[in-house]
Amino acid sequence: MSSRSGRFGIAAAALLAAPVLVGALYAAAGALGLVGPGASGRPSLARAVRVLTEPTVVQGTLWILWVAGASTLLSGTVAGGIAVVLRGRGKLEGLGRGLAVLPLPVPHLVAAVGGLLVLGQSGLLARVGFHAGLIDGPAEMPALVYDPLGVGLILALTWKEVPFLTLVAVSVLGTRGDALERTARGLGAGAGDVFRRVTWPILWRGMLPAAVAVFTFVAGSYEAAVILAPSDPLPLPVLTWERFVDAGLARRADAYVLALLGLGIAAVAVAAHEIVRARLPGLDGGSQA
Amino acid sequence: MTRATRFSALPSLRAWLVVLLAAWSLLPLVLLVVISVSGGWRFPSLLGADPGLDAWRSLRQSTGRLLPALYTSLGLGVGTGGLAAVLGLPIGRALSDLRGVWRFVGAGCAFLPVAAPPLALGVGLQYSFLRAGLGGSAVGVTLAHLIPALGYTSLFFLGVFAVFDRGVEAEARRLGAGGWQTLTRVTLPLLRRPLAEAFVLGFLVSWAQVPLTLLVGQGRVRTLTVEVLSWVQAGQDPLAAAGATLLVIPPLLLMGAAALGFQRAQVVAP
Amino acid sequence: MSVLEVEGLAVPFGHEPGLREISFTVGRGERFVLVGASGAGKTSLLNAIVGSLEPSAGRVRIGGDDVTRWTVNRRPCVLLSQTPLLFPHLTVFENVAFPLRVRRVPSGELKERVEEALAAVRMSGYDERRPATLSGGQARRVALARAVVSRPPVLLLDEPLSALDATLKDEVRRTILDLHADYRPALVMVTHDLAEAGRIGDRIGVLVGGTLAQVGMPEEIFRGPATLEVARFLGLPNELDGVVEKDGALRVGGVCVPRPNTGWSGNLGTGPDCGRRQVRVVFGPDGAELAAVGFTSNDGGACTGRVEEVVHRPDGVNVRVRTELGVVELGVSPDRIPAVGRDVALRLRAGSVHLYGNDAGSSGGRSVPS
Repeated sequence: MSSRSGRFGIAAAALLAAPVLVGALYAAAGALGLVGPGASGRPSLARAVRVLTEPTVVQGTLWILWVAGASTLLSGTVAGGIAVVLRGRGKLEGLGRGLAVLPLPVPHLVAAVGGLLVLGQSGLLARVGFHAGLIDGPAEMPALVYDPLGVGLILALTWKEVPFLTLVAVSVLGTRGDALERTARGLGAGAGDVFRRVTWPILWRGMLPAAVAVFTFVAGSYEAAVILAPSDPLPLPVLTWERFVDAGLARRADAYVLALLGLGIAAVAVAAHEIVRARLPGLDGGSQA
Repeated sequence: MTRATRFSALPSLRAWLVVLLAAWSLLPLVLLVVISVSGGWRFPSLLGADPGLDAWRSLRQSTGRLLPALYTSLGLGVGTGGLAAVLGLPIGRALSDLRGVWRFVGAGCAFLPVAAPPLALGVGLQYSFLRAGLGGSAVGVTLAHLIPALGYTSLFFLGVFAVFDRGVEAEARRLGAGGWQTLTRVTLPLLRRPLAEAFVLGFLVSWAQVPLTLLVGQGRVRTLTVEVLSWVQAGQDPLAAAGATLLVIPPLLLMGAAALGFQRAQVVAP
Repeated sequence: MSVLEVEGLAVPFGHEPGLREISFTVGRGERFVLVGASGAGKTSLLNAIVGSLEPSAGRVRIGGDDVTRWTVNRRPCVLLSQTPLLFPHLTVFENVAFPLRVRRVPSGELKERVEEALAAVRMSGYDERRPATLSGGQARRVALARAVVSRPPVLLLDEPLSALDATLKDEVRRTILDLHADYRPALVMVTHDLAEAGRIGDRIGVLVGGTLAQVGMPEEIFRGPATLEVARFLGLPNELDGVVEKDGALRVGGVCVPRPNTGWSGNLGTGPDCGRRQVRVVFGPDGAELAAVGFTSNDGGACTGRVEEVVHRPDGVNVRVRTELGVVELGVSPDRIPAVGRDVALRLRAGSVHLYGNDAGSSGGRSVPS
């Protein structure tokens, strides 16, 4: 690397990192009580400890992690299945992949609105159930939104994330899968062995980075949660927002602790991914010769 | 594909899967359109008791809430997308020049604004934006949207330059082109397509953004997403559905254009 | 007895006719090399044998079984492709073990056989390495071990030595020959490199124009190309028009060469052996020689010309002489190199020129005994 282009590169990296670091440092200062509403001027961990041990916060954090994990796993499975079943150059397969990818550019907010209108107590599903004679009114519709398990939110997020993961899965199978599967077949592997020993390992390893990205995004996402999540437990992103706009100045500063927690979850997810990637063979680089 | 390499699943299974996918992907979107013209979507009616274009009428009125929000979102999207594409190119290129451990550091830095939850970012940055006098202004919101958007486009161009053959530029230099000529006659024409894709990427990041808009826009910059969120929370289903429908159209058009461009590129490629 | 029998195989290339009427057999322990220019369909032929391409006609038999309709994984043959792919998610050991695992070989025997195969390609001790950490030559040797570990009775190698530098090439070639000597499969190797074909092949098949134009031992092919296309593929630099007279003598321009006692090499055509016939005269640098420097008279066996260029090559010196027949390239002794611009006389060597009748050889489809 010539020193000049290296300097540009480091400057570019600093430019990208700066806003995040500034935001994180300000939030840290706010959490310690140095700046922002309710600042005492003296650093103290008291607020951080109080907020992080609050049952609402713990539950809200665990809840959003559950939703992020479940929707990532579900969308990953669906996407992997689509990529495996709808392979090849056939028209039907191409159409199916196109349909699967269609919601890709749709904003998360719209996915949540759609989820509400389809799955809500008086949503499309409830109306179809009513006309089919399955239920007598909205009250009998099983709660799929604002529900403690987050089924509606998980489904809406899955709808939104399947396209992205499908694209990744299709490209994993397309760029490496085909050739590796041919190699395996040529070495005597039958259909079952090819899937178990080659297709599946290649697929999940190739999808892992994208799945981590989805998990991180979902765990920090506000707009879908605020539309579909219950008020108890209140998911971490919504809780962060509520505290930040709270009328009480003292509670506003809690949001800095929660923002740091959100940033921390993202950091841990990315770091965990990097560690797994370093340990697991065949995640990148891969085949040569 | 030949007989021997084809995956041997039942064709009818695939046909059913495709039908299921059509329902899964299209149903929510179709429902949005239906509700937007339902004139009030009361249980248990499927299509609405008295269909009408009330919700859409506000699109024609400059005083209505739909049209200004649409303009705001489009303006912010175009501004963010343009800046993210134009700045992402040199930044991604500079990152791709890094070697060794610095290369990982560079990619990691580009990953930060992408991985950081926008809400957490907004909470931490709101004070700085307000102090800089950027609160409640379109410029401020554009800059806020640019933080994640630039992360995406920089990573995108990092990938582009990882496979971009610098030899082409060196060859242009050897053939007598200066720095500016190399840029305008070789580099940019070669990167026209990635630039367009980066613009779309930045546009979509801004178009879908909610928390950063709320926190930096201070309620004065009212994008379509912000309006739709408030309509949903107020239970104004037809208006929310109309707004959500509007939110879907430009992204789908952009993706369609990108897909068409991709097909054309495949036709041109050997 | 033949292990591999290919009979009347046809493989279309998209909408083009592709390969037609390919027939050959390879016995146990035999090394059969297919040569052909790039694009001749060598790889397609291997893919058809191994079962990843469907032939439009013909049959493939392995060990007496007609495997034409068998799926790839059931065929008792392994193809080592030109750019072998190691499984990136498996270690070197597991890569080599793969064919045994899918054949449900018990783990004790499996370990033994994998270690043996790795030892045979001199990759012992690399068991736990990841493919991404191997050099190109190492990866190729691992792929070779993986190809032979299940001891397939037919081993197909697609350009195994291409894109390797000279040292690596020697190393991989030696490994291939050792492995072959070890368990003696019917080996089919494809290459565009004639020298390589001559070094490895017990027999060579020349693939030109979509057909197997000639099959024979290396010296048969190099010394007696059966058709004009084979002769051209061998890269013989000289091609002139000539006439074979009724008495069998060859006349090229003003030069007359009597018919050698063993007959002409090549293929004069299918018609009855009577009358004059037009022929193409093809020969290498050894097909002509300098008669005498300064020689000018015309005794019927020589023609004159002027030296245009001296070409120094690793294996000798050639001169290009412009004659009334055209430019002729011939070898000269390194200690008697004529200067450029010098007038020389040259003679054709009857035993080293190949003649092809205008109606012969170009259509082909049959392998012509030489």
